[in-house]
Amino acid sequence: MTGIRALETESVQAQKLARRVSLTQWTSWVLCLIALTSLAALVLVLIHESWPVWRVAGIDYLAGKQWLSSRHLFGAAPMIYGTMAVAIIALGCAAPIGIGAAICTSELLPRRARLTVKILVELLAGVPSVVYGLLGVLVLRGWVYDLLEPLDPLSGDTLLTGGLLVGVMILPTILTLSDDALRGVPASLRAAARGLGLNARETICRVVLPQAIPGIIAAILLALGRALGEMIAVFLVVGRQDNQWPERLWSVTPLISPGQTLASKLGGSEIHIAHGDPLHWAAMVGLGLLLLGMAGGAAAAAFLLQQKQLRHAQAS
Amino acid sequence: MRKLLDLTFRAAAVLCALLACLIFGWIVSAIVWRGFSVVNWRFLTEPMRLAGAEGGIFHNLIGTLILLSTALIVTTPLSVGTALVTAFYIQSERWRRLCLLCLYVLNGVPSLLFGLFGFIVFVSFFGWGKSWLTGGILLGFMILPTVSVALVERLRSLPPLRMEAAAGLGLSRSRIVWFVLLPQCLGGWVSGSFLGLARAAGETAPILFTATIFAGASIPSGIKENPVLTLPYHIFILAQDSFDQAIGGKVWGTALVLLMLAFCMSLVVLPVRLRIHEEADHV
Amino acid sequence: MKRPTMSEITRAPAIEISGLRVYSPSRQILRDVCLAIPHGAVFALLGPSGAGKSTLLRCINRLIELSPGLRVQGDIRLMGRSIYAPGSDVDALRARVGILFQQPAVFPGSIKKNVLFGVRHLGKAPKRLWPEIAERALRDAALWVEVKDRMDDSALELSVGQRQRLCLARALAVEPEVLLLDEPTSALDPLSTEAIEESLRRLRGRRTLVMVTHDPRQARRLADRVACLQVRDGAGEIAESGSALSRID
Repeated sequence: MTGIRALETESVQAQKLARRVSLTQWTSWVLCLIALTSLAALVLVLIHESWPVWRVAGIDYLAGKQWLSSRHLFGAAPMIYGTMAVAIIALGCAAPIGIGAAICTSELLPRRARLTVKILVELLAGVPSVVYGLLGVLVLRGWVYDLLEPLDPLSGDTLLTGGLLVGVMILPTILTLSDDALRGVPASLRAAARGLGLNARETICRVVLPQAIPGIIAAILLALGRALGEMIAVFLVVGRQDNQWPERLWSVTPLISPGQTLASKLGGSEIHIAHGDPLHWAAMVGLGLLLLGMAGGAAAAAFLLQQKQLRHAQAS
Repeated sequence: MRKLLDLTFRAAAVLCALLACLIFGWIVSAIVWRGFSVVNWRFLTEPMRLAGAEGGIFHNLIGTLILLSTALIVTTPLSVGTALVTAFYIQSERWRRLCLLCLYVLNGVPSLLFGLFGFIVFVSFFGWGKSWLTGGILLGFMILPTVSVALVERLRSLPPLRMEAAAGLGLSRSRIVWFVLLPQCLGGWVSGSFLGLARAAGETAPILFTATIFAGASIPSGIKENPVLTLPYHIFILAQDSFDQAIGGKVWGTALVLLMLAFCMSLVVLPVRLRIHEEADHV
Repeated sequence: MKRPTMSEITRAPAIEISGLRVYSPSRQILRDVCLAIPHGAVFALLGPSGAGKSTLLRCINRLIELSPGLRVQGDIRLMGRSIYAPGSDVDALRARVGILFQQPAVFPGSIKKNVLFGVRHLGKAPKRLWPEIAERALRDAALWVEVKDRMDDSALELSVGQRQRLCLARALAVEPEVLLLDEPTSALDPLSTEAIEESLRRLRGRRTLVMVTHDPRQARRLADRVACLQVRDGAGEIAESGSALSRID
């Protein structure tokens, strides 16, 4: 009798346990779904809000060179140009320095010196963007103005200033992630190359870098995503001049004159003015959608590259 | 010839690293040098007067701390749930990678767009106006990927043996979660959270339209139409017209306080992060 | 390269290690190692694990300097010349003294690229000689027959044993005077072990081979001379050395 009773309580306990399993699991799933649907919600809201401008302007929204809200002309091309220009200048400055420094920390420096550099870089990554903006406004702007003095610039607020500032901001990203990628290359390959008599440069260039290149490209893509979407610092130094579509796409002049990026446009006060007019508002949100596509695409590509390299490393 | 190339290459790499360190040194010294004379106890504890030209940054500091703690409260359950699902409950490798992909893309979303989203949904649609809660929620979602990925990495690095041992003792899956997994990932939670908060502390873009104003707010007393003052927005506004000498001093002081706040949070997690990075190559 | 005569072998050793001491930050690893390794000999280093056999081996081509924190004292002479002399070229030394590790480290890329890796980047031979060099090295490493039809396939498709022979071929392709072998067969199956031992036997006399092994039978099968290391007070030292047959029994 007592034996059966014991068995029964045991099974009841087991059922309770099973129910608690599902409760913990259920809660986790709900929380996870909330977290991940936020991304979907973001995309959907931006698409929904910007729908009118796609319907009205269509492809002209991307290709149009004029943005005159009073005449309901919405062309985002100058801002796309500005965004790309700032990002490319930033990468052009930060990528060589960042990769060079990563080679130095991962391959050349003894442990203690490497830790020192890495600590400094971790801290550098923590400097808020508004602080960069402040330094840009009060220091870098003057430097660029002095630098461009012979060309008689209007001010120090140029796409170049924005690009340089963002370059410094993304330097830690490139450095840290490239360093990780380089250190992911097995030490045995280095030893084998050195054992054959190759010197440090040859080992790095012929063996280590080819192995680490997907990881380094991923680092550059992640940095690109940040550079595209950076608003505060760029806002303060870029000049925010609308409709600066260059006559010749690859000339230097537009780079040393004021411009506008997608992010700096969205950060300005125009967004409050636009809120009353559905089409104007849709055009503004559409800029956000463009930005999301560019930055999100860069992040996704970087992730896929990293995964590929991870699987590659496991295979060999 | 080979020797010369080798030497040049190495010198160039070392120069790059030196340059990175110099930039860092210059940034910090530029801020400290200009802001040091302004920061004192009264600067931290007095409210702002005369549009930033006089007084201190007490309410800005409080506002930033309110936003950060809200963000932490929002992000903790979400990120723990996400990490558990991603690292533990999902059985198929393909779905796990999809989850990670979503987290990475979310991480790559420019912070400005969180602000835009918050403006559309909370400020306009819910009609909250500018509210500290919106800012906290947005910052919480912004640092969610950082915290989640730190937790996932921590969970995946736990030896499967330990889980098998726990299961062998007859512990149910939920007990394994509560008594084996969660205590183990406390470190990951701390490092991920502080890393994210260090980033969130300096963010201006998400709270620009949704949670913060320049002057005229103190401690919030409700949710709707209850904005806060914050440090980064204070700097952002003052930087745009900072030719006034008095304001110039104050803005550098504020920048110094914000920088130190971010550094302190980065420094808390530095040992953990360096250990992860240093361990990674000894595999 | 001229084949050394018997008298040269007995007179001037290829490698002469004197008073070699290695320290890590926390302890001494090797204590006062003195060894003379004759030309063209197969020299085996035996001893328990942790006795510093690999460390000793890596001192001979100064690969030890790539592991941070280790300090080396004493002198090693290669063909009568000190390799630690100031101004000597480390990379040139390593091209003269090849090394084969316990685990094969093949570079991602084709088999051909792997064999010719050192030749190509050291610029040792004109390009037209490359196929010939590759074939000779692969024949010496007893791999030619297996890979001659698929030289452009990825080296990562080879089995572990084949990879190890590929690494042997890669080291031989740059024509080193001395070849260091760090437990070259301990990660391999018996068949690959047999193939490697066979090619080492054929190299005897043409190259000076220094081999670390934990297997006394392998030493007896291959070596002319043997040195045994032992651990005393935490540091490795030479317990005894001499000709192979007398020592191993």
